[in-house]
Amino acid sequence: MSTTLKKTIPVAIVFVVAMLVMMDYFIVTPPVNEAGKSWTSGVVKDLQNWGIILTAFSLGFGAVNLFYFHSKHISRRTPKQWMFSLWLLLVIVTFTAVGVFMGPTSTSYNWIYNASYFALSATVYSSLGFYMTSGLYRALRIKNIESTIFMVVGVIVLLKNAPALAVYFPTLSAWGSFIENVLTTSAQRGIMIGGALGAISLGVRTMTGIETGFLGKLTEEEKGGSEP
Amino acid sequence: MWIFILGGMEMAKTHKPQFRKLTGLDALPEMVGRAAEMNRPVHFTTGLGSLTDSVAPQLVAGLAVLAHVSELCANYGVKIIYSVYQAQVMPIATELMKAAYVKAGKPEEFHADEQVRYLSGEQFAYASAVQGIAERERPAANIMIGPFYAESMLFSETFQRIGSIQLAGTARGYQIPFFAVVCDYLLIAEEIYAAGAYLSGDPVQVGTTRGQDYGKIVALILMILGVLATAAGSSAITSLMGM
Amino acid sequence: MSGQGKSIWDTLGDIPREVLYGVLLVVFVIPMIYPLGLPVPISANVLKWYKAVEDLPPGAVVMIDFGYSGGGEPELGPMAVAVYHHMLRRGDIKVICMSTSIEGPQLWDKAMAELRPEQRYGAVYGVDYINIGYIAGGETAMAAVGKDLRATTSTDYKGTPLDQYSIMDGIVDAHSFDLLICYTTGGDQSEGWVRQWYTVYGTPYMCSVLAMMVPTMLPYMNAGQIISVTSGAQAGEMEGLVHVPARGIKSADVITLTHMLCVVYVVIGNVAYIAKKFQGGSK
Repeated sequence: MSTTLKKTIPVAIVFVVAMLVMMDYFIVTPPVNEAGKSWTSGVVKDLQNWGIILTAFSLGFGAVNLFYFHSKHISRRTPKQWMFSLWLLLVIVTFTAVGVFMGPTSTSYNWIYNASYFALSATVYSSLGFYMTSGLYRALRIKNIESTIFMVVGVIVLLKNAPALAVYFPTLSAWGSFIENVLTTSAQRGIMIGGALGAISLGVRTMTGIETGFLGKLTEEEKGGSEP
Repeated sequence: MWIFILGGMEMAKTHKPQFRKLTGLDALPEMVGRAAEMNRPVHFTTGLGSLTDSVAPQLVAGLAVLAHVSELCANYGVKIIYSVYQAQVMPIATELMKAAYVKAGKPEEFHADEQVRYLSGEQFAYASAVQGIAERERPAANIMIGPFYAESMLFSETFQRIGSIQLAGTARGYQIPFFAVVCDYLLIAEEIYAAGAYLSGDPVQVGTTRGQDYGKIVALILMILGVLATAAGSSAITSLMGM
Repeated sequence: MSGQGKSIWDTLGDIPREVLYGVLLVVFVIPMIYPLGLPVPISANVLKWYKAVEDLPPGAVVMIDFGYSGGGEPELGPMAVAVYHHMLRRGDIKVICMSTSIEGPQLWDKAMAELRPEQRYGAVYGVDYINIGYIAGGETAMAAVGKDLRATTSTDYKGTPLDQYSIMDGIVDAHSFDLLICYTTGGDQSEGWVRQWYTVYGTPYMCSVLAMMVPTMLPYMNAGQIISVTSGAQAGEMEGLVHVPARGIKSADVITLTHMLCVVYVVIGNVAYIAKKFQGGSK
């Protein structure tokens, strides 16, 4: 395939779409219609709706991929895997059948959702609390100045977030609020600004075709970067 | 930002800027070497997020590191397992890893079915599957670069318990503390975006990172001016930012 | 240390995970079975939230995003229910719900089953409250709904055309709403609403997130972009304000005790570490 098809056209599409969305977000470009909206508004609205459709499509694509991937395991009788793959596909089919024939908002669908997926999801999420506890126990040790500060701040915030203790020890609330509103907020702002600038940089690289990871396999010549 | 980044790219063609040390990325050969000595695989994941949402830049940054780590693993003869959350990432990751093995001169050692594993599009099903990989295959090294959500702590603790050396990086501020507490090496926020440039050494990519740094300097100057102006009772800088 | 058994400090400095988790489990379970009734103070952010809803004018329209997943329901569900109690009790606020999470509609049904709006407040679906369903696309969906809701979705979550519901009369885009609320387990969604609705349309916005995400949302609140950021763990406080005690209040006891236990673990670990150092046997 030529470089034009593999790289130039996709990058051009990315560039044009990104410019349209940014123009619509930041500036009102004439001509402006009677509602006061620029010409980009209608175009971007359509693009956003296409984006929603693509995302919805990718959900179905994920299901197809699951079928393909796990069907291979079942057909090959992969040891310690094929039974789980079979179970997964059975559950997918059950949810799909109930959702299609009885409706995704039906009592039956809600029942199987609550009885299976919701319960499992909440359980795995809850296991985080245990992992955090063991992480805290191991990590918050007075090994050096930084870890001591880490420990002191961690203990203050832990105690401040315990509702009942805030009643009996109001000083904890004051210290905790200072840590949250001054120290944490300023650090988070720095991280957010840095992260945002990094994302902008990556966006510019993507729009100019320097970042080609999303295009998949390209030769060095097609990438147009430096020679090895 | 555009001017800084494009300017940085142009300047880098004549004078390539130097990075400060990113210990986590420098440790990658050591991590893969450890896996080679222990005859255990390397596990890599780029977390949640797709190529169409707001965390896509982090996913792309993770894929850049995946390409480099795949090449290292190919050179060292170590199996790399890439756990996939989003189906749309699979073909891209497969191509990147295959290209890395081809570049290392060992295309026959790459087995996409075994090494690129699409686990699930659901967060905790994916998290459970990764924990299962950790328990069964016991990787010697675990590399997590990309957008991570609640599963970050699940992964870190599980891999720590089985004795893996870990490198983690994310720009999602919510999860950085969890990685900081458990992992051996950490990349914070914009360091993951610079990772591709740092590892490849490509002057153009390095130049864009320099442009990004110029943007930070401008942000810092505006911040200082804003603080001084607000303290003096002027809202000029605030109004300028609110434009 | 070689040739000798483990000292007490070695044991305390390296308590097996099973013991840590076992004690934590006991501390979790006891207050759930026997609520201790520990005090629950109302924090400033919860008060701000309550006041923001109280200050809504009659006939105000609120958009709620049920953007959390099943895993976050135990924490955010009680908060969502308590806020619904507050709004429906007033009787003059219209509540339109959507979801940026694929599990949103099921979790909304769960909340409504707990709330029982018809029985409790005489609220009518389609007149006082509605759910327009899951809209895929994350931030793209937020932007699209803000620009033109009817172009993004034309039915409610059951597939009935929106034109059949009187609550949707005059609802066109983000300008039609007086307040936006988001419950989410993914902080990017909350930031997305700031970018796509508050920044573009100036819609007042509040969010309730997981406790670990509150510090990251605080910069937005301190900059005035979010009225109030609460965590689902503060559901007990909201329930106290709306006088409908439920799961949130019960969880407050658990939160207090488990946080104190974590501090005890940290203290034990550090005492053991320091004692081993003084003995000259630290690893």
